[in-house]
Amino acid sequence: MNKDHGFWAIIRREVRRMYSRPLYGLSIFFAPLFCYIFFTTLMGEGLPQGLPAGVVDEDNTAVSRSILRNLDSYQQTEIIKQYANFAEAREAMQKNEIYGFFYIPKGTQELASTQRQPRISIYTNATYLIPSSLLYRDMKTMAVMASAAVGREVLYARGANLDQAMGFLQPIQMDMRALGNPWLNYNVYLSNTMLPAVLVLMVLMVTCFSIHTELKDDTAREWMEMANDNVFKAVSAKLFPQTMVFSLMALVYLVLLYGVLGFPDNNGFWPMLLAAEMLILASQGFAVFIASAIPSLRWSLSLCTLWGVLSIPISGFSFPVMGMPPALQGLSYLFPLRYYFLIYVDQALNGVDMVFSAWFYLALLGFMILPLVDIGMLRKAAHNYTYLI
Amino acid sequence: MWFKDMLDVSGKELRKVLSDSGVLVFFIIVPLFYPLLYAYLYGREVVREVPVVVVDECRSATSREFLRKSDATPDLKIISYCADMEEARNLIHRHKAYGLIHIPAEFERTLADGRQATVNLYCDMSGLLYYKALLSGCTMVSLDMNRDIQMERLSGMSDWEKDVMTMPIENEYVTMFNPANGFQAFLIPAVLILVLQQTLILGVCMLAGTENERRRAGSLILGAEYSNPITVLGGKALAYLLVYGFTATYVLCFVPWLFNMPQLWQLPTLVAFIVPFLLASIFFAISISFFIRDRESCFLLFVFVSVPLIFMSGISWPTSNMPVFWRVVAQIFPSTHAINGFARIGTSGALLQDVRYECIGLWIQSAVYFMTSLIIYERMYRSDKMPGAEFVISVRAKVRKNIRVAKREIKAKLQN
Repeated sequence: MNKDHGFWAIIRREVRRMYSRPLYGLSIFFAPLFCYIFFTTLMGEGLPQGLPAGVVDEDNTAVSRSILRNLDSYQQTEIIKQYANFAEAREAMQKNEIYGFFYIPKGTQELASTQRQPRISIYTNATYLIPSSLLYRDMKTMAVMASAAVGREVLYARGANLDQAMGFLQPIQMDMRALGNPWLNYNVYLSNTMLPAVLVLMVLMVTCFSIHTELKDDTAREWMEMANDNVFKAVSAKLFPQTMVFSLMALVYLVLLYGVLGFPDNNGFWPMLLAAEMLILASQGFAVFIASAIPSLRWSLSLCTLWGVLSIPISGFSFPVMGMPPALQGLSYLFPLRYYFLIYVDQALNGVDMVFSAWFYLALLGFMILPLVDIGMLRKAAHNYTYLI
Repeated sequence: MWFKDMLDVSGKELRKVLSDSGVLVFFIIVPLFYPLLYAYLYGREVVREVPVVVVDECRSATSREFLRKSDATPDLKIISYCADMEEARNLIHRHKAYGLIHIPAEFERTLADGRQATVNLYCDMSGLLYYKALLSGCTMVSLDMNRDIQMERLSGMSDWEKDVMTMPIENEYVTMFNPANGFQAFLIPAVLILVLQQTLILGVCMLAGTENERRRAGSLILGAEYSNPITVLGGKALAYLLVYGFTATYVLCFVPWLFNMPQLWQLPTLVAFIVPFLLASIFFAISISFFIRDRESCFLLFVFVSVPLIFMSGISWPTSNMPVFWRVVAQIFPSTHAINGFARIGTSGALLQDVRYECIGLWIQSAVYFMTSLIIYERMYRSDKMPGAEFVISVRAKVRKNIRVAKREIKAKLQN
């Protein structure tokens, strides 16, 4: 057996290739690492605090001032400025100085004290959806509390105690429990899928790119020869070093999320490690499938890129799949990241039995063996391919 | 005449763009379809009828009224009345339901005693929109029922008195500029701007990569025959600007119109804002493109950047709560200012003076990236403009090729 042939020789050759081009280092190490650090530090606060809001107080009385004082005491809202009228506040919103404002019209105290139901308004800039929703929650609570405060005074005057007063003012109350993420932490909510998503994107592109550059640079025949024309051996040996490095990168984000940052991981480390490993292999499998099916670097790389980018919205972690048009709901089954996301919800967030996630693991397995369908075409392409610009 | 030279370069570059199918994909096909796909994906704006399960341990008229009303809200849909928590949990674990409404056994008795009764809600946190739907749906129902309960207890008062008693100060909520309070109107403007910037970068880099490949093979770069680098860069920029004039009109005006998104812009403001954005993106792309060695490597280097770029703009996670470091890094990219500006011009009807900060930022970026592209161009390609450069380059390419062939032969001999 010639030492320049076989599995290990191809691995050695691939490691050399990876070393010789800084492009590989940049896209395998730097790109995911950059995104890991970016997302986890960007949302380090977890839930945004002190969002800038404004107020238009045309009433300027004891009642209106007490409303404002209370509003400012909320952790998530910070009243940064008082505006003279509605138009000024609207302009400040258009300039992005504030995300929302409270409008207290003239005569609020007068109407309240003579029991004639004044109305205060909450305006938020929903162009920025997240700060807008968070501000709304604080402002709404505040408005209801302001109203309740007035009602409570009336009840106290009639001789009710606190229990009776609350029983009257709010007979049914809600007790909301957010399972798995009680802090409503955005970092938990986004980073858990965003980090693997970037990794998947890079796996798809690098796998496709490295296979097709063999064709483009006219080294594919040499590569196939080293594997004695066994396309399985050729591909698996070539991708093995990449799998190792990507696995390392997966380990880095798992340790970062569940070890360093202490995000909820109810079923422990192993189910998630298994999921991450299978996600990488599934992505490689998918990329090999595409690379074999489309014998052109540009088009197969374009498709892999599209798949990688599209998997972020379509995995449904920010906007649920059930809210998408039916056609796209069906399409979501074709993305490995979708299954990883479902496994993460089961295993890390909710901590349910592995049996419930079995199908999702199997689906990832399906992507891993997908190349069996068309890998023969790659062998053919390797023998008679010419690159066209 | 420098102006004629510039038009000349521009024409050549344009021909190169139109004859390269790879570049056309970035300049035309991706901007044509990608925004449609995204807008379609978020087309329903919000999630309706989130499936929830119910455990009603009270089984009274009041608890049934609460559940009936919850089911009637647009937010929620009760898919099953479970016998116990175990059964309910099982349904949630099977992803059949995303929330649980639990009404405790003492619910009605507590109400009858005139004390506060509690309804327990449990929410699957795999999506924050489930949380929003469950909370807002049930809160609406409870507010409604609270009023009814209060009214009953206040018998003997006039209707007007009851009204005042139950809600001394009324409040209303207005979501400005994004009437559905939905995903499409919030995320799509950012995606549209990003598509323009990223396709420009990818396309320009692909052109540069091709040129570099050809140069290695022995031909001269475009514009080598012109002595003034400004004409070359200006000509290229003019060509891209021409193509992106059409692309931007389609992406920024047609797509939002097609999907009925808020479009409050005024034409002069939009044009005055988008032109510096395109210029900044073009020169940014040209500056980067000098470092691209072959056609396809731009995919690996720039596509992933789109993901952090959307977040850097502050359209999702608020800018006011970003670490200072990332706020500074965000200033490097034209998309940061452009997304903020365009979202406000298009969605909230801001005028040019309201986006002054972003507009000035884009002009500064245009100037800076023009200078960087000029400097890099001068340093890298000065040799191509020397007399006899054509000869030197072709000789260099031939030597390289010979070396490669010789290496392969030596290797083959060693193996034998």
